[in-house]
Amino acid sequence: MSTKPNLEQSVEFAENPEPRCPCVLLLDTSGSMQGPPVAALNEGLRVFKNDLSKDPVASRRVEVAVVTFDSAVNVVQDFVTADQFQPPSLTAQGVTYMGEAIQKALDMVQARKEQYKASGIAYYRPWVFMITDGEPQGEPEDVVVRAAQRIKNDESLKHVSFFAVGVENANMERLSTIAVKTPLKLAGLNFAELFVWLSASMHAVSKSKVSDQVALPPPGWANV
Amino acid sequence: MPIGPWRVLGASVQGTSHQQSGQPCQDAHSWRVLPSGILVAAVADGAGSAPLSEIGARTAADAAVQAASLSITALSITALPKFEEQQGKKLLSSALEAARATVEQAAAKENHPVADLASTLILVVAGPDFAAAAQVGDGAAVIEDNQEQILALTKPQRGEFVNETNFLTSAEYLSCAQIIVWQGHPQSLALFSDGLQLLALDMQPYQAHIPFFSPLFRFVKSSTDEAEAQEQLTSFLRSPRITGRADDDLTLLLAACGKLA
Repeated sequence: MSTKPNLEQSVEFAENPEPRCPCVLLLDTSGSMQGPPVAALNEGLRVFKNDLSKDPVASRRVEVAVVTFDSAVNVVQDFVTADQFQPPSLTAQGVTYMGEAIQKALDMVQARKEQYKASGIAYYRPWVFMITDGEPQGEPEDVVVRAAQRIKNDESLKHVSFFAVGVENANMERLSTIAVKTPLKLAGLNFAELFVWLSASMHAVSKSKVSDQVALPPPGWANV
Repeated sequence: MPIGPWRVLGASVQGTSHQQSGQPCQDAHSWRVLPSGILVAAVADGAGSAPLSEIGARTAADAAVQAASLSITALSITALPKFEEQQGKKLLSSALEAARATVEQAAAKENHPVADLASTLILVVAGPDFAAAAQVGDGAAVIEDNQEQILALTKPQRGEFVNETNFLTSAEYLSCAQIIVWQGHPQSLALFSDGLQLLALDMQPYQAHIPFFSPLFRFVKSSTDEAEAQEQLTSFLRSPRITGRADDDLTLLLAACGKLA
């Protein structure tokens, strides 16, 4: 046969919306973050952007929102895909309304999922990365306790993957009382690798069968 | 290359995300054309979250084809009415059970729990006047009849999240399996893993994406040099147009029945 059909050119693709992975960056901008910690945080945002930009599929699937918390909780950036995301440059001042901020982040991923469902967009389990020095401050203790309980509940129902990420010299012990997953160190985090791991296919778990879940972290993520 | 009643091309390629993370290709495919002219084909997609899923996928695909082939031969099935709905469904679910049992044996041999070999499985049996499919998990089987109508035989299964699905290794694999017997005259068919789903299927409303499959079916119907066609299919799956949209492992098995188009 002389005519060789060029498959690449002749095949047309269905135009489904990309599946999305909502990701809230929940960032501590309180006074205790002044100096090197907030500089490390700003650097972390650039690394996050760069890691995802190198991966064309992840940069269209991960949707980023940025929420800061100090004496107030502010949505600095509503959800945009990673390719559209411009890392803000943050400064630090005030106290640390961490509990209120956690509630805000979990509300946002819940609302985003509802929007996906209404628009027929498939989605991955949402992520929250809370980057902090690990010290809630200025809130009644029960606000933090309720936030930690909600993380525990949402994690056990597999509504969200909540990562507490400590800047250098963060109080990791305190963080481990708030998040279910072992807190991570910001320095050296590879966000693109994390996306590959979190998007690996896994068993569709019915809520009563959580133990069926299998998960294989990439090297270096063993204790996540 | 001799041209039989079915021409079959299949390729499984490692996804770009797997290249980066050092995971092997966890997809597998397998097929056989029986002396009676019946085609038996399978695609399995190993779970990215399971450590030995490439072994699970390979084992599941081979075992399902083997089991279905043995039953079809034993029952001397060549066409309908011998492959009527009830019997067809029974034959397919037995093949799923046999595949599951073989994966359990493979897990025991590796000294791993069976969940470590988690994979999906799509099994298709096609004759002159029927096609039948059994599927656990995502991916799909698509068929073209002799009127050039293209339709999806099966539908991807999914949990709340897009990367959650059912596996052959789940306790409830049989009850969640889709088993479909279709009466008609298959000219071409395709089996593919979930990596291609977004490109090959229209999700709302659910149907096969015709401009995706028409050129592929024309391609397999007109392919004369098997090695060269195989090469083209592999490069298609590795082309930037595909990998820019799909970073998962990709498997596509194509078959065409009858004389050269």
